[in-house]
Amino acid sequence: MMDPLELPVGTPESWLPRQRYHLDDDTGFDEVPRKYRKFYRKWRGADDALAPNEVLCPVCKVVIRSSRALRPGDRVYCMPCMSRLIVVRNERTGALEARVAY
Amino acid sequence: MSDFLSAYSIQSWLESCPQGYLENTEYGHRAGEREPALLVDNELLRHETIRATVQLVVGERCALAASSGLINAAPDEASKRFLATQTLDEARHVEIFTQRLYDLGIRKEDLESTIASVANPNLVRFAEILLEKVDRKDFVAGVVGQNIVLEGMAFSVFELLLAMNEGANPKFAHTLSGTIADERRHVGFGENRIGALIKAHPERKTDIERMQKEMSYYMLATFADAFRDNAAADEFKRFEQEAAGNGHHARFHGLDLSEAEPEEMERVLADTVLKDFKVRLNRIGIEYQTPVRP
Repeated sequence: MMDPLELPVGTPESWLPRQRYHLDDDTGFDEVPRKYRKFYRKWRGADDALAPNEVLCPVCKVVIRSSRALRPGDRVYCMPCMSRLIVVRNERTGALEARVAY
Repeated sequence: MSDFLSAYSIQSWLESCPQGYLENTEYGHRAGEREPALLVDNELLRHETIRATVQLVVGERCALAASSGLINAAPDEASKRFLATQTLDEARHVEIFTQRLYDLGIRKEDLESTIASVANPNLVRFAEILLEKVDRKDFVAGVVGQNIVLEGMAFSVFELLLAMNEGANPKFAHTLSGTIADERRHVGFGENRIGALIKAHPERKTDIERMQKEMSYYMLATFADAFRDNAAADEFKRFEQEAAGNGHHARFHGLDLSEAEPEEMERVLADTVLKDFKVRLNRIGIEYQTPVRP
């Protein structure tokens, strides 16, 4: 694995290795079949800080969790509301957001 | 398109809903849970709780009529199957809120007369506007009215009720949790299916925007009737503090519900729902129309 600090300046984000995350099996979210529950958790409102592997579904307000850090262009699926989403970066806040792909 | 629609299967619904979060529930709540004695033994609170629950039954009866009516208007098999599962969800909601009326002391033979006597006329008009579209087999307008406007309203109303009841009334809070989970699927279908259809039928936008403005007005009028001059407001606060404990501060979109006046709750709920409508409608290419404030 290449140390990201050794990459040349301006290296696209997509070239950098992604941090991996261990997902707990039980997040207390029971609205999808058991085997998928670790990929979702309830949103705790505007004060809820999302981790780099998490994004909020704009349709049903459930937090979607990935086993890898998310990046713009990633496609994620919100099983509770069955929406297909694309991760984008909010240019104003710099935060990752999800947009619905119709 | 086929991949997107393939998620709308009866199998997915079975695994998520009856075999998932509704497993081992009784009328939507945990077995053996009851309405708090502090609520049912207080005539003022019981009466106002019956009034509020009747509005939920009226809204859900409308949703049941709309979702079942839209099945035969749906343009594809996957949408028909989704609406069949939604029909069962809505029928369940009618049943669990009706059961709550029985739990609050309404006799079965008095159910219809109770609903007729306290159903809010503005909510009834809200439902009529939607059902006129459904009767005309207008699938696009029907799904926007049902799955974005009605379900969007229900989503926020149930979230508010959940926040108010989580500490004081676990039975009703658990009932609401299951309905909120159902609403997630319904709003998701509304956005995803109509988002694609609106692109194909841009000529429908004006009519749908008019419907949203009209339904929004009657929704706001219903909220105004529910919150303004509510004789039981102070009594409910006392009940919540006693049942949930003095340290409990339920919150809804930043508002401390144990401190807030009914007018503040009405404003925050109305603003939340309207903002949500605006965002959802914009996402599917429909321009939100600001309703007249009652």
